[in-house]
Amino acid sequence: MIINIVFIIFIGLAGGIAVGSGFVAFLTVLGVIPRLTQLSKTMKMIHWYEGSVVFGAVAGTIASLRDPALFLPSIILIPLGLAGGVFVGLLAAALTEVLNVFPILAKRVRIEDKIMILMMAFVFGKIFGSLFHWMYFVNE
Amino acid sequence: MGVNVVENTIYIRMRHRLQVRPHDSIKLQDVAQIIAEDSLLEKVKDCIVYTVSEKDQNIIILDVMKVIPILTNMVEQINIEIIGQSQTIVEVVYKKIGVSIPLFILIWLLLFFGAALAIMNFHEDVSMQAVHQRIYKIITGKENLKPLILQIPYSIGLGLGMILFFNHVFKKRLNEEPSPLEVEMFNYQQDLDRYVIINENEESMKRIHHDH
Repeated sequence: MIINIVFIIFIGLAGGIAVGSGFVAFLTVLGVIPRLTQLSKTMKMIHWYEGSVVFGAVAGTIASLRDPALFLPSIILIPLGLAGGVFVGLLAAALTEVLNVFPILAKRVRIEDKIMILMMAFVFGKIFGSLFHWMYFVNE
Repeated sequence: MGVNVVENTIYIRMRHRLQVRPHDSIKLQDVAQIIAEDSLLEKVKDCIVYTVSEKDQNIIILDVMKVIPILTNMVEQINIEIIGQSQTIVEVVYKKIGVSIPLFILIWLLLFFGAALAIMNFHEDVSMQAVHQRIYKIITGKENLKPLILQIPYSIGLGLGMILFFNHVFKKRLNEEPSPLEVEMFNYQQDLDRYVIINENEESMKRIHHDH
């Protein structure tokens, strides 16, 4: 009996370590945090940002495994959604950058100077697709 | 003799990239930065290193090994010092091809709808709708099948995050560091340059011929 419990704790811990390190590795490869510190010139605070990511991941884990209800006004969801959106946007942008999409495209069609307009197509496409998805597509 | 050597020393640094028109003649001072004694400099700076002809395609690699014999033929007992890289990429610019507007619009729309479809697939793939319903429940304690109060700010934030990453809005104000996109463009160009330096330069590779 006790060995069962110890074994399950061990498996849980191992799974958590695998997922947690994978998450951090993913963020590191995409370089989202360095990008934000570069923009805001707050290189010295990077340990706080690490802490913030870890704390956020743990909070998200607790919220999804337990079923808490905070009974707060729904207006709080606006900044929450905005922050979540910015984060996913950063990830998406970083991913296209890792995959070298824009340099190759611009070179192929010879429009190095209009690359920002193409990028805006990407950005507006994301916003449009996302709004379309939530407001129309998911009608069950 | 010692005096002679010092007087005839010429320092050459090949430029990285040079743009010319078809049928141009490339002078030494076009392809390289030169430091030499004034009389020597006057003598060599306008000498023609290469003439662009029809058979050249749009990239020519000018190796310093082609420049050295020209100099040694012109000036006796010249002492050539080469600094930096040893070849220049010459880009022959033919009549500038304008970007066709319909093609540009087509690509713009392609990217727009591609991005829209990709984000929808992503949301379905990670069950974003269920997560948003769950967040709504956690925060407010109520059920809501379409928590738009969360999802509309999320959608706007998505665009903001991408712009933030590519440093478009804050480019002028925040700092002069290049954005990741600019660095990526630069790296890509460097890779292309390294490729053409090796592959367009017939002297850089020597094959064994079996045709005798």
